[in-house]
Amino acid sequence: MKALWIATVNLRRMFRVRTNIFFVFLFPMVLILVLGATFGGSSDPRLGVVTQGSGPLGAALEHQLEQTPHLRIVSVFDRAALLTQVERGNLAAGLVIPPGYDRAIRTGHDVAIRYMARTDQSSQQLGETVQGAVSKQAALLGAARFAVAERSAASFDAGLAEATRTLPAVPPVSVTETTAGTALFSKTLGQFDEGAWTELLLFLFLTALTGAVALIETRRLGMSRRMLATPTSPGTVIVGETLGRVLIGVIQAVVIIFGSALLFGVNWGQPIGVAAVVILFTLVGAGAGIFLGTLFRNEQQAVGITLLLGLGLGALGGCMVPLEVFSPTMRRVAHITPQAWGNDAFARLVGHGAAITGILPQLGILAAYAAVLLALATWRLRRVLLA
Amino acid sequence: MAGERMLECRGLRRCFGDLVAVDGVGFHIDPGETYGLLGPNGAGKTTTISMIAGLLERDGGEIVVAGEPMTTHTIRAKSALGYVPQDLAIYPDLSARENLVFFARLYGMSTAEAKRRSNEVLEVTGLTDRAHDQTKTYSGGMKRRLNIGIGLLNRPKLLILDEPTVGVDPQSRNAILESIEGLSSEGMAVLYTTHYMEEAERLCDRVGVIDHGKLIAEGTRQELVNLVGERDHVHLSATGDLTKAAAALAVQPWAHEASATEEGIDLVVDDARENLPAILSDAASAGATIKSVEVTEPDLEAVFLHLTGRALRD
Amino acid sequence: MRAAVLICMKDLKARIRDRSALLIGIVVPLGLAFIFNSIFSGISGNSKAIAIGVVNADRGAVAQQFVGQVLGAVGRSGLIAVHPEATVAGARALAAKGTLNAVIVIPAGFSARVQANQPASMQVIGNVDSPISSEIARSIAEGYTSDLNRVRLSVATVVHGGGSSSSLPPGEIRALAARAVAAAAPVAVLDVSAKSKELDQKSFFAAGMAVFFLFFTVQFGVTSLLEERNNGTLARLLAAPIARASILGGKLLTSFLLGVISMVVLVVATSLLFGATWGNPAGVAVLIVAAILAAMGIMSLIATFAKNAEQASNWQSVVAVVLGLLGGTFFQVSQAPGILSELTFVAPQAWFLRGLGDLRGGGISVVWVPALAMLGFAAVTGGLAVTRLRHMAEV
Repeated sequence: MKALWIATVNLRRMFRVRTNIFFVFLFPMVLILVLGATFGGSSDPRLGVVTQGSGPLGAALEHQLEQTPHLRIVSVFDRAALLTQVERGNLAAGLVIPPGYDRAIRTGHDVAIRYMARTDQSSQQLGETVQGAVSKQAALLGAARFAVAERSAASFDAGLAEATRTLPAVPPVSVTETTAGTALFSKTLGQFDEGAWTELLLFLFLTALTGAVALIETRRLGMSRRMLATPTSPGTVIVGETLGRVLIGVIQAVVIIFGSALLFGVNWGQPIGVAAVVILFTLVGAGAGIFLGTLFRNEQQAVGITLLLGLGLGALGGCMVPLEVFSPTMRRVAHITPQAWGNDAFARLVGHGAAITGILPQLGILAAYAAVLLALATWRLRRVLLA
Repeated sequence: MAGERMLECRGLRRCFGDLVAVDGVGFHIDPGETYGLLGPNGAGKTTTISMIAGLLERDGGEIVVAGEPMTTHTIRAKSALGYVPQDLAIYPDLSARENLVFFARLYGMSTAEAKRRSNEVLEVTGLTDRAHDQTKTYSGGMKRRLNIGIGLLNRPKLLILDEPTVGVDPQSRNAILESIEGLSSEGMAVLYTTHYMEEAERLCDRVGVIDHGKLIAEGTRQELVNLVGERDHVHLSATGDLTKAAAALAVQPWAHEASATEEGIDLVVDDARENLPAILSDAASAGATIKSVEVTEPDLEAVFLHLTGRALRD
Repeated sequence: MRAAVLICMKDLKARIRDRSALLIGIVVPLGLAFIFNSIFSGISGNSKAIAIGVVNADRGAVAQQFVGQVLGAVGRSGLIAVHPEATVAGARALAAKGTLNAVIVIPAGFSARVQANQPASMQVIGNVDSPISSEIARSIAEGYTSDLNRVRLSVATVVHGGGSSSSLPPGEIRALAARAVAAAAPVAVLDVSAKSKELDQKSFFAAGMAVFFLFFTVQFGVTSLLEERNNGTLARLLAAPIARASILGGKLLTSFLLGVISMVVLVVATSLLFGATWGNPAGVAVLIVAAILAAMGIMSLIATFAKNAEQASNWQSVVAVVLGLLGGTFFQVSQAPGILSELTFVAPQAWFLRGLGDLRGGGISVVWVPALAMLGFAAVTGGLAVTRLRHMAEV
């Protein structure tokens, strides 16, 4: 009970400074906004197309692309402008239909259309769509050329017209896709969902670590020592300190999860499973944060190390670049971090629609991390307070 | 210039919001003089000092240090001052030597001069052995010594010390007071604030009594005592006919009270020192045998009490 | 000026002693760069050797061509390992387990249906944990089927083109088909993304991280004013015969120098050790200086609102993280539609990254707009900070 009291006092102290309230909730808000906007897949990607000098056939290709669903075409003046737009992110990808395209096709040459995209996952899928649309055109043009070569059409345009007429009657060869296991395939797994939990874990851990700085301040002021002068056991003091931090972490996580779910329709998976992961992960962060807080006397040093660990472990654990692209060795290395296990848990919750029973191994590992770190934290804090 | 005052301040005034912290304080300090600013906590001593040292803007009044006007922006006047703040003002991550050299150079010395002077100060403060260690490893006493030492770097004409002995153990306090006496005897002018009456009495040539932001009295110790018109207590341990002796003394013009007690005579007289021979001879002629004499002069504490109705120390 | 330099030297000495500046300015960003590099070195051109299983239930000519030639070429490229599997069920189980990243299934009767001009389909079984690999498998399959479709269309066009709907003898059709196959696709899409410097992810991470940490490195300047005030030494500085402006000047100089040193070390280290490209040195220098000034302005302003150094440090850290988020130092936010792509420019980091990106593609003149934007940040926030500091300097 006393521990709860200590935690309450800590929180009250912290929130008395109004700016602290602002800061505790500022970053979750921003994070929701950033995640929602960045990963929100509801709007169609924009493809820039340069058709300068490409002639009627080039225009026809552009028209074909415009007819393609889930794609928004933007006309761009030239290649340089296209590159800038793609690099800046205003366009998801760009296509350059080269000058002389029309003539080259008609005269029997093969043309390469340059495609450029940002090297991230959504661009990969866009590339598929573009490839598909171009292939359709290629088929028509190829058929037209073939018709001319086989003398069944008088001119290229006649051949093209004939091919266009014939197309509906030709049965297609297609590719169907399914998912292995009981998973929801990536189409229903919105782009957003894939990114959201990685960032959540990254920033939860980071803020838990920066909570370590607050602990240094407490020590500096000797508050914790003063608490010990009262008939309070060191264990109670420690639990009190931990509770406060865990509480803040959980509140922030709840704000982010609910905010993004309500505002952007993010699917986080089974609520109980999510709650378990979040609480355990926050405990891990709190333990790490307090342990760190006992190692430094100087908050400047603490800031540096907490950043390194928070961002570094986050990156290693697959929070910035998805685990999927890691090499097998790196993926093994990644699982040294609690973040990797957290990511795995969420991937199963969201991607595979698992219930809490499906993530028990991951929860177990996270609990082990939490236990070890909290034990270390307790040991150090006791030594420091009683020193 | 001979006869030029080391410090001259008139009509100093400073407000913090509605609170008037310093209201019309003015005094002067002559070369080689130790001037004490005596007053309880909250009287306005530190605020006054801060204005004089150029740390704080004044709302009114003038300050002239060694002939140069002093404001927060002046440089020349600040060069003549040495400043020792009440709180320890030293860099914990630097060694004593590094602290000293840094400040010495800020005061305009070249690197070589700064090093030389720093070594001198280290000698004087007895810190030469630990000069290379970071000051965060120093004891409290050592830090205090360094704190004062920094104030001496530029060989100031006027050294300002703001309550340098607060919270200091008696031994260190004594050492500090001795060093200040030493500096004074070398001809340095000193401005010393304190709420300890004994220090003011011991060190200062003149004392200004400050309360609620006003300078309520000023002068040498004697002048202050006289100002108040307190009288000396004299206690004679004696045997014999005490009642008669007391009565004989009572009629003297300089005696205000005389009473016999069990083991002697208690007197209240003007200026015990001057009248002591007369006291002794009168008492003896009246038949008392005097064993010992105790003279209690009023002190500054009493002066303050008289002036303000409050005690100096809370 | 001399006093400002003295104060700056003293501060640098203290900072190096407590190692905090070294830590935040150099060690930490380099450490992160190392981690990112390790992650990325496992990736070449955004794909790694992925395991794609193939179940050829058909064994017809078309299927053989796909498996033998198409998948053969893919396998030889080294990026993809092709694993023949006997049964669909077996392959599906492997995909579910994750042993295979994806599976391509050619169902029985596929070749026959293709040759008989009937609808046909191949199957891709993907793994939701390997979305990228699943996409790659699908693109391989679709590449092949679109070629098949082209050939079909070509043949159909010729067959129906003469106006006669007469059917040619099978032998003729086969010959026709063979010729159609021999004719290459007239249009191909060539992905040039990897060749383009602008789109280099490694450099993005290096730049993003450097500018993120810049906002921590420059905190040491003005925050130390708070420290000195609480330490008591600010009073000494004010009592010393130096211009007041040189106290602030010294602190700002410290911030600036730390920022410059840190950025230079990072640029050089990431270029040499990790192969990141930064671009035209003069342009980079202009952007760096502008970014340092913007960071100094913002962090100083925050410090003026705090009561002590710890509080200042806490708030500064949160703002640095938030601005880093918004500014796209962790992941590229400019993709986002709507408000976020505007909002990102509230953060100077976004301007810095934009300037660097443009610089890779263009000449040095592209840096002026971002540099001016950052200088604008610096001027506004710095000006406010200095005004507030005048009050702070009163002891």
